[in-house]
Amino acid sequence: MSFGRLPTDRRLLAGVAGLVLAALLAVEVLFPANPVTDVGAVLVTIVADANYVSSVLRLTVPIAFAALGGIFAEKSGVINIGLEGLLIISAFTSLAAAAALGGGDPNQTQLWLGFGIAVLVSTLFALLFAIVCIEFKADQIIAGLAVWLIALGLAPFASKVIWGQVNSPTIGTFNNWTIPVLSEIPFVGPVLFDASPMVYMLLVAVVASWYALNRTSFGRWIEASGENPKALDTVGVDVRRVRYTGVLLSGFLSGIGGAGLAIGRVGQFIGGGTTMVNGRGWIGITAYLFGNYNPFGAFGASFLFASLDALQFRLQQVGYNIPSELIGIIPYVTVVVVLAFVGRTRIPSAAGDHYESGEE
Amino acid sequence: MSNIDKRRRRLLKVGGTGAVGMTLAGCTGEGDGSDETTAEESGSDESGGDESGGDETTTEESGDSDEGSDSLDIGMVYATGGLGDNSFNDMAHTGVQDAESEFGVSYQNSEPGSPSEVANLQRRFAQSSDPDYDLICCIGFVQAEALAENAQQFTDQNWTVVDEVVEEDNVDSNVFREEEGSFQVGHMAGLLTQMDFSAGAGETDTDNTVVGFVGGQETPLIEKFEAGYTAGVEHASEDIEVRSAYAGAFNDSAQGQEIALSMYDEGADIVFHAAGGTGNGVFQAAQERGRFAIGVDADQSMSLPDYDDVILASMVKRVDEAVYRSIENLENGEFAGGEINTLGLEENGVEAVYGNGIGSEIPDDVTSAVDESREAIIDGDIDVPTEV
Repeated sequence: MSFGRLPTDRRLLAGVAGLVLAALLAVEVLFPANPVTDVGAVLVTIVADANYVSSVLRLTVPIAFAALGGIFAEKSGVINIGLEGLLIISAFTSLAAAAALGGGDPNQTQLWLGFGIAVLVSTLFALLFAIVCIEFKADQIIAGLAVWLIALGLAPFASKVIWGQVNSPTIGTFNNWTIPVLSEIPFVGPVLFDASPMVYMLLVAVVASWYALNRTSFGRWIEASGENPKALDTVGVDVRRVRYTGVLLSGFLSGIGGAGLAIGRVGQFIGGGTTMVNGRGWIGITAYLFGNYNPFGAFGASFLFASLDALQFRLQQVGYNIPSELIGIIPYVTVVVVLAFVGRTRIPSAAGDHYESGEE
Repeated sequence: MSNIDKRRRRLLKVGGTGAVGMTLAGCTGEGDGSDETTAEESGSDESGGDESGGDETTTEESGDSDEGSDSLDIGMVYATGGLGDNSFNDMAHTGVQDAESEFGVSYQNSEPGSPSEVANLQRRFAQSSDPDYDLICCIGFVQAEALAENAQQFTDQNWTVVDEVVEEDNVDSNVFREEEGSFQVGHMAGLLTQMDFSAGAGETDTDNTVVGFVGGQETPLIEKFEAGYTAGVEHASEDIEVRSAYAGAFNDSAQGQEIALSMYDEGADIVFHAAGGTGNGVFQAAQERGRFAIGVDADQSMSLPDYDDVILASMVKRVDEAVYRSIENLENGEFAGGEINTLGLEENGVEAVYGNGIGSEIPDDVTSAVDESREAIIDGDIDVPTEV
């Protein structure tokens, strides 16, 4: 349904406009001493800063990767709400693998190997989820929750076994990729051409996902598997295989997001509380719902949420103390608003249902 | 000494089970080295009799075997960050280890995975009769709510809480004057940002005089750090800009990193964090931008040696001191139930500890100025605010 996107875009626009209005209203209520124009001027100086945009892109990475993964799984008919768990697993594995390979001080190659292993483990974890859902017909929501809860318990536990504590030791991170000449361009250069490899991978992944979903037969299978699996079955495509692929892709993409967060950025795994992933997988789900299963939409929504977050902690520094908890709920409020009022994000008709081929 | 002999005889009579045999073995094993502690032990029994009288009535039998082993049993309930946080919990652990080597106490650790488990772990220690815990140390503000309930329910149990106040007669509350230690590191940061200073992997930006603060969650406790830090910076000079922000979490290092980066990009030379694991991202950001950071709770240049080239100093909270003192008091039969111990600069409960890697490169006039403000705070000449 790639040509029916116009209303989607309008809905998106309306959603963004609504958010901006709400933000302006919040400013009026929270800072009666500062008229909106004042705050506006501050906002403009912040947003027009290249450092701000780079920061937002980095914050977008794990959210958007989880969102892209969620699109593939859910479009194929398997709702994967365990994205948060997959991020946790891959964040932990990347650290553990890289540290094991490099003996505590891994070089870039070993970091990339650790990254690969983490993506693999996350994919295997997703395979487990797929088997439980597709083979054993488990309720997808419950199985997805289990993925999250298992990861939430398993990763800190494994940390304790390996390092004797829930937080890993610190190791190095990926070097930035600087593209000569292009990185000299003002504003665009430092944002797009002197960035973490994760940012490049994300941009490629968004375009590739969109292409795969909208321009290839695989994309049509994915769509049919979620909308009308019987029809897909009738033309001779194995629905189970399509669904397996969708879920595995969600594990693969989330794996990149989680590993990118741990060894792409911080160089440590923090296992206390909600772990260092800290809800980014859940925000990923809201992002693809907000983006109506379109990779570009999901990326836009992730970018929007990340930019609000980055904005929030900059505003705090200049005296506009917006509670970060309040910003934290914006993604969820947005999704409720988008789902309920702005227009329906249409969930694939057969998502969540088990499909039994007639032949068997 | 005759007292002990009587006890031993009683023990032998009760004995016969393997467990008692083991305690006995432990007893003889301690041998001559524990002479002093045993003497103290029996002394404490007399003076501490009234306070801990309830202990004996609840479970006399285990009380006996307890005394037979001549050592206090301590139950440790840590904060949710768990051991290995390189700061808060590990310091509490150090405190009880010190007490172990000093007084021969034995202890049991328990690490709650989530705040909801805290109450249960406290209760498990309190209900235990083998061993019957003489003291349960509850580490961190996460314990307060559960302890307020459990202290009422288990009135015979001695409790120590660190970083919170629970107003019950059987609870020894220990809190810190974080604002005083934060004032110290703030004063240092304020002086350094005005200088042309470079050390390790960092250097100051002479064009601006800006410093930063990253907090975990915006609670009154963390605001004490911010308030003290800001006051310390102002003490150095009124013209320095302090940028502060809260990450909203103690485990989100990526967020801490982005916040610190935004501060460094705005010209901050030094960022102080009071944000637990989130703060590790601050150190990472400092290395990325070639600036400085200040650690918290423990000497983080030691506990996170990878970052010792950017950590100027740490605002150390001597959690170990609080735990140790509480056990020492109990050992001496002076358990401070119902009291609130406030540990500030004067009590060495908080202090600015210069970094292991680059702390020695801080100019002498800075350190002596910081020493002076320390004296002034202790003497009451400087009043450090606790609220932003």
